[in-house]
Amino acid sequence: MKKILAPLVGDAPVVTAIGLCKNAGKTTALRRLMAELEDERLGLTSVGRDGEATDLVTGTEKPDLYIKRGDLFATARGMMSLCDATLEAAALTGVMTPLGEVAVFRALSDGYIQLAGPSAAGQLKPLCASFTALGADRVLIDGAAGRKSLAGAGVEGTAILCTGASLDRNMDLVVAETAHVCRLFASRRPASPGLAAALDGCEDRFALFGPGGEPRELPLDENGLPRWNKLPREKCVLWVAGGVTDPLLKTLARRGAPITLAAADATHVLAGRSVLELFLRAGGDLTVRRELSIAAVGANPWSAYGWHFQSEPFEDALRQVLTVPVVNVNEKED
Amino acid sequence: MELTLELREESGLQWVLERLTPMSPFGRAAARALRWYAPGEEAALTTELDNVALALELWNAAGPAPAEPEPCCCTPRLNPASLKDIAALLRGVTRCLPLFHDIRGSLDRDPENPFDLVELFEIKHFLVTLEQLIEAYAKLPPFQNLAFVPMNESLDLMDPDGRRLPAFSVSETYHPDLGPLRAEKAALERSIRAAGEEEKASLLDRRHRLTVQEDLLELEVRRDLTRRLMARRAEFLSNMEALGRMDLFLAKARLAKRYSCVRPVLSGDAQITLRGLRHPQVAEELASRGESFTRLDLDLSAGCTVITGANMGGKTVSLRSAVLSLLLCQCGFFVFAESASLPLFHEVSLILADTGPGSGGLSSFGREVHLLDRLLQRTRGQRFFLALDEFARGTNPQEGAALARALVRYLGTLDCAALMTTHYDGVSDVAGAHYQVAGLVREIQGDEGDDPRSRIARRMDYRLQSAPPGAPCPRDALRVCRLLDLEPELMALFQADL
Repeated sequence: MKKILAPLVGDAPVVTAIGLCKNAGKTTALRRLMAELEDERLGLTSVGRDGEATDLVTGTEKPDLYIKRGDLFATARGMMSLCDATLEAAALTGVMTPLGEVAVFRALSDGYIQLAGPSAAGQLKPLCASFTALGADRVLIDGAAGRKSLAGAGVEGTAILCTGASLDRNMDLVVAETAHVCRLFASRRPASPGLAAALDGCEDRFALFGPGGEPRELPLDENGLPRWNKLPREKCVLWVAGGVTDPLLKTLARRGAPITLAAADATHVLAGRSVLELFLRAGGDLTVRRELSIAAVGANPWSAYGWHFQSEPFEDALRQVLTVPVVNVNEKED
Repeated sequence: MELTLELREESGLQWVLERLTPMSPFGRAAARALRWYAPGEEAALTTELDNVALALELWNAAGPAPAEPEPCCCTPRLNPASLKDIAALLRGVTRCLPLFHDIRGSLDRDPENPFDLVELFEIKHFLVTLEQLIEAYAKLPPFQNLAFVPMNESLDLMDPDGRRLPAFSVSETYHPDLGPLRAEKAALERSIRAAGEEEKASLLDRRHRLTVQEDLLELEVRRDLTRRLMARRAEFLSNMEALGRMDLFLAKARLAKRYSCVRPVLSGDAQITLRGLRHPQVAEELASRGESFTRLDLDLSAGCTVITGANMGGKTVSLRSAVLSLLLCQCGFFVFAESASLPLFHEVSLILADTGPGSGGLSSFGREVHLLDRLLQRTRGQRFFLALDEFARGTNPQEGAALARALVRYLGTLDCAALMTTHYDGVSDVAGAHYQVAGLVREIQGDEGDDPRSRIARRMDYRLQSAPPGAPCPRDALRVCRLLDLEPELMALFQADL
C-alpha cells in the first residue's frame, strides 16, 4: 500500500482524526493510517461512540475498524459483545459512559472492533498514558465530528482534519470552513517570552495582560465576566480559559480597539468563520497557550446526502488556500 | 441506634467522618455503615478499640511521630527494634488496599448468568491483589477477630499459567476445542491480510463463522468459570468484609494519629469522665482565626448536670463535645480528649435550641418538646444520654424555668446521664451537679477597634468550673451587648431598665 498519511504524521505519539462534519471520512482516514502503520502496535480509542456499521445520526453505511493481533483498544464494556477479535481484558480506566466503564483490551487475534471511548478531552490523556504503559507504540484517536466539537485534538500529538461534501452542498463554503479550522490550528504561542510565561501560569477564567505579559487589572461584573466597557483602550491581551464563542468575539470586535485574545488552544475557539474574520478585521489578534498541529487534510468529495463534488477541483481548491498537505484518503491504487 | 444526619451534623460527627479516609471500596462501605456498640457489647467494642490501638501503633511505627506525645493508655505490643520492618510490612498491606475494585455488584447474580470478560478480569484482579495482601498481612502482628480466607483454588482457576499478570483472557487451556479453533482462525486471518479484494470477502465470511464458534466456546468456558467462582461466593464476601474492617481500623487509627485522639476507657457505671476535651471542628475554626480552643474537663454522673454561664461562653460547644465523644466511642473510634472514661448507652441524643430548616411546622419550643417526648418513649427502660441546649427557652421565662426544673428532676429518676445548658435560675438547685463557665473575667482596655468576636474571646475564660447547686446564673448580657457594639442609645435604655 502506498503510504500517504504515515509520512505526514511522522513520529507523533498521538494522532487524532477530527472531522468537520459527520461522514467527512474520519474513520476512512483512520483505517488508512492503521493499514499504513501495520508494523506498529497501536492503541485505539474514540471520543464518544464510533466505529458502528451504520452511522447512528445519518443512517449511512460506515466502515468497520478491523484491527490486527497485538493492537490495544479502549471501549465501553457494553461494546464488548460487538467486537469479534479474541480479547484480553488488560485494564479498567474508571471512565464511565452510558455504555459502561471504558476498559482497555488487547486483541489476541485480528478482528472487528467497536469503539466507544471517553467523551471528555481531559480523560484522553491518562488513557494515552495507559496505552503506552501497556506497550503501544502510537495512539490513534477517532475524534468527534462537527465544528463545535474538535475534542480529542487537544491531546499532545497531531491531527488529521477530515472535510468533505457532507458539510455543505456549496464547495466554496466547504473550502472556506476548512481553511478557517486550519487557520485556528496554525495559531502560535505569543512571541513575547514574558507573555507566554504569564499565560502558562494563568488559572483564572479571564485575565488581562500587557503586550509583554505584565498583569493588568480586569474589572469583572457580578457573574465573573469582564466589564467590556471598562477594558483599556491601549493594546492588551485578554486570556479566556473556556470556549471562545461568537458573542465574545463580536463584543471584542465592536469595541473598536485592537486586542489580542489568548485561548488555551485551537479547539477552544468555537466561534464561526465570519465572526472570527470580523474580529481580525477590527485589528484583533489570536494567540494560544498550547500549539496544535494538523498533519494533513483528508478530502472526501462524496457526501452522505446524495450530492458530491468533483474530486480533483475540490482538492485543488483546498490546496490553493491551505498550507498543510491535502490527501485523498480513499485512494485505492497502490 | 440510628446515627441520623441531623445528629451527625449537630454533634460534629459528620465533620469527623469526612476526615476518615479508608482506602478501599470495602472500607468506604464499612465507614458508611458504622457499627454502634450498645450496652452489653463491651467485649466487641474492646476488641475493636484494641484493633484501632494496634493500627495506631503500626502507623506510628511507619511514619514520623505526631507533634504531640501520644497519650496511649494501652501497653505497646510492638518491639521497638522491629519498628522499621513494621513500616515496610504495613506498606505492603496499605499498598494493596487502594487497588481493589468493588466487585460486590458482579457477585450479586444468578450463578447461571455468566460473567463477562471484564468481570472475570476484575475477579482475577481481586484474587491477585488479595493474595498479595494476605501475604503481607501474615507478617504483621495480627488484628483480633480478623482473618482472611485464602482463595488459592479460585486464583489458580483464573490464572492457570500462574503468572499473576493483571490481565485476563479466555485462554486455550480452558477448553480442548479452543486451541485448534483459534489456530485455524489465525491462519485464516494471515491469509486475509495477504489476500486481494476479491478473495477477501469469502475469507472474511469463513472467518465470521469461526468467530461465532469461538464465541460459543468462550461462553461455555465463562459459564463454567462463573459456576465455580459463584460456589465460592461466601469466601469472596467474607474476605471483602474483612478487608473493609481492616481498612476501617487503619483509617480510624490514622485519624487518631492526625488529631492526637485518645483511646476511651469503658467505665462500668454511668460515670462519664472527660479530661482535656475538645471539639475538633470548633478548634479548627478557631485556629483559622488565630485563636485556640480551651480544653474542658467534665465529670457527669447519673442524672442531669446543668451548665450555666455567660452568652458566648462556649456552653453549646461543651454539649457538642461531650456528645461527639460518646458517639465516637460507641462507634469504636478514639476520642478528641486527653483522657476519657465513658459508659455505653442505648441511645445518645442532642437537642439543640437552634432549629435547622425542616422542623415540620413546629416552633423551636414545639420541636424541643416533640424530640424530647419521642426520645423518652423510645428509651423506656434503656440507659440513654441526653444533651439539651437551653431547654424551654422559647416559651415564657416563668413557665420555661418550671418546665426545665421539672425535666431535671424527672431525668434524675431515669437510668440516664444528661447535660443541660440553661440561663434560668433555680434549675441547678435540683440538678445532680452544676458547672459554670468562668465567664468574662479578664479586664482588658484599648482594643475598641477590633472584631467584637475577638474582643469577647479575649475577655472570656471558657473553662467549666464546678459551682454549688443554686448558684445564680451570671448576668452578662449587658457586657456582651456592649462588646458587640450595640447601638449606644439602645444600650442606654437597656441599662436604665435593669
